[in-house]
Amino acid sequence: MIRSLLIANRGEIAVRVARTALEMGIEPVGVYAEGDAGAFHVGRMARAVSLGSGTPLETYLSIPRILDAAREARADALHPGYGFLSENPAFARAVEKAGLTWVGPPPSAMEQMGDKLAARRRARRAGVPIVPGTDESDTDAAAIAKKAGELGFPVLVKPSAGGGGKGMKLVEKPEGLPRALEEARRLAEAAFGDSRVYLEKLLERPRHIEFQIFGDQQGNVVHLFERECSVQRRHQKIVEETPSCALDAQLRTAMGRAAVEVSRAVGYVGAGTVEFLLDERRNFYFLEMNTRLQVEHPITEETLGLDLVRAQIEVADGAALAPAWRAGKVLPQGHAIELRLYAEDPATFLPRSGRVLAFELPSGPGVRVDAGVEEGSSVGLDYDPLLAKLIVSAPDRGSCIARARRALEDWVVLGVGTNKALLSEVIDSKEFVSGYYATDFVPRLTLASSRIPDAAWIAAALSFSDSNAEAVPAVLAEPWDAITGWRSGR
Amino acid sequence: MKLSSGEEVADVRIEGDSALLDNRRVTFEVSRRDGRLEAIRIGQDVFRIRVAREKERVFVWCAGEVREFLRAGRRSARMVEAAGGLAAPMPGRVRRIVAKAGSSVARGDVILILEAMKMEHAIRAPRAGTVEKIFHAEGDLVEAGAVLAAIG
Repeated sequence: MIRSLLIANRGEIAVRVARTALEMGIEPVGVYAEGDAGAFHVGRMARAVSLGSGTPLETYLSIPRILDAAREARADALHPGYGFLSENPAFARAVEKAGLTWVGPPPSAMEQMGDKLAARRRARRAGVPIVPGTDESDTDAAAIAKKAGELGFPVLVKPSAGGGGKGMKLVEKPEGLPRALEEARRLAEAAFGDSRVYLEKLLERPRHIEFQIFGDQQGNVVHLFERECSVQRRHQKIVEETPSCALDAQLRTAMGRAAVEVSRAVGYVGAGTVEFLLDERRNFYFLEMNTRLQVEHPITEETLGLDLVRAQIEVADGAALAPAWRAGKVLPQGHAIELRLYAEDPATFLPRSGRVLAFELPSGPGVRVDAGVEEGSSVGLDYDPLLAKLIVSAPDRGSCIARARRALEDWVVLGVGTNKALLSEVIDSKEFVSGYYATDFVPRLTLASSRIPDAAWIAAALSFSDSNAEAVPAVLAEPWDAITGWRSGR
Repeated sequence: MKLSSGEEVADVRIEGDSALLDNRRVTFEVSRRDGRLEAIRIGQDVFRIRVAREKERVFVWCAGEVREFLRAGRRSARMVEAAGGLAAPMPGRVRRIVAKAGSSVARGDVILILEAMKMEHAIRAPRAGTVEKIFHAEGDLVEAGAVLAAIG
């Protein structure tokens, strides 16, 4: 019986997990680095424990400090969120050794999936197609060159200990291969302490589609349908939706079955995600498995009407998956889209920091915001730039896009530059609306700058004047905002 | 006053209940709550507004979009560079200083490495010259627009 849950994370995911814990009657215990004591997530916990001062490596990424915090808080379970230590099997083992319930998959499954070469071999043995490439980390230059020639250029050199596109190199021509291999090995050694790399054929215009899977300690494994994640920039997802326009019932069944097979092969328990690439001829290939809750898990929750964090905690506590899940009776309803709001310069996409001066959330039916900041929060450069996620759901895709547009317009975020304009551009684009887009879609988008309304110029001038003691129009005696029939000025 | 937002620049003068936008007169009314600007009405069009100001920057949410405005004439990164300096394109931490003060550099040479959001960005010389001074030490946190180095 879990009574107190240590949430070893920060930002929106820590808040998301805390909400479910509170609803389950479990006490959420937060952690924070000293510089983060005033962060939004800290105030959403029943209690919070300091991790001391220092860099992320010395705080949220420090296994001894997190375990000390769990002991100090007398927590009996630990949820890692995503990022930080969530996919570190040594951490999972240490948590279990400390006598805590680990809300995550078995460390052995994390290990097998964390090593991308081992994961590819596993998938192939389970009868699941993998992206054409090498299965072994060869060091013989001639053998690698021969294999690359067979695959056909361009190829990708990927680190076995990587994932999510981290540290990979694109090689267009055979001459570039030796240098790319050398660089990739060096980077992989520096980033992961593991220099093994492998080759993958570069698929043309693939779609990136993943399946949510769920297993329990009794050996049941099910899939909870797909999420379309092809809207990416620099391998970072920015908009996700479910269902995917690319799948029909037959393909969905085949991919769902493959996702379950891969998970079963490593004895998976809890929430996990199997990522696939889908090529233009509708062939699918196993890419990798993420052994944790995904950032984009809420769209699955919205279309299936369930709480994945609750299921994670129940399964970790020994419960079997609900009979309806096991019988395949949980079916998606309608459509859901997630839009990720990042702190970045709207034009140059460079990271931005600052203080959130105003933060007003959109609301209305089918609108959910999982935020990690509030008005007054400071946004630093030490952590992930994800500020919040807008999740909208509606009975069909068209009304879901319209709802996303309306909610996005209603969202007030001032003080820190964000990618809000890019998100609008994505959902307004013909390609996204058509549903037929692939991973090459966002880089081709051009940010159209719309005309600045007169009212915006006036508002800016009024604001600059306010403290400059210039002429300020008198406040209207009778505010007309009480009048009904407000019109959007667009 | 001269205002800029991105590439756009306008001269905006507030005169009582009207504004001169690049010499075009626009009559407007404002609605405030507790002194805070809530909406602007121009003719029959109502624009819900939120504004926030931070030093030299004003953020405006209007017609569903957020824009940043600067008082034109304030120092921008581009202007610092025009004056021979090197400005931080974003806030971050000085990770490593590559060029020594007094050394000569060619256009495109790395002067220092700035780290932000776990990514390293090489800050390069905008033109050939001599590094006269580097204004920050390794480990320093710098704001966007901060002058990092002088290149003579």
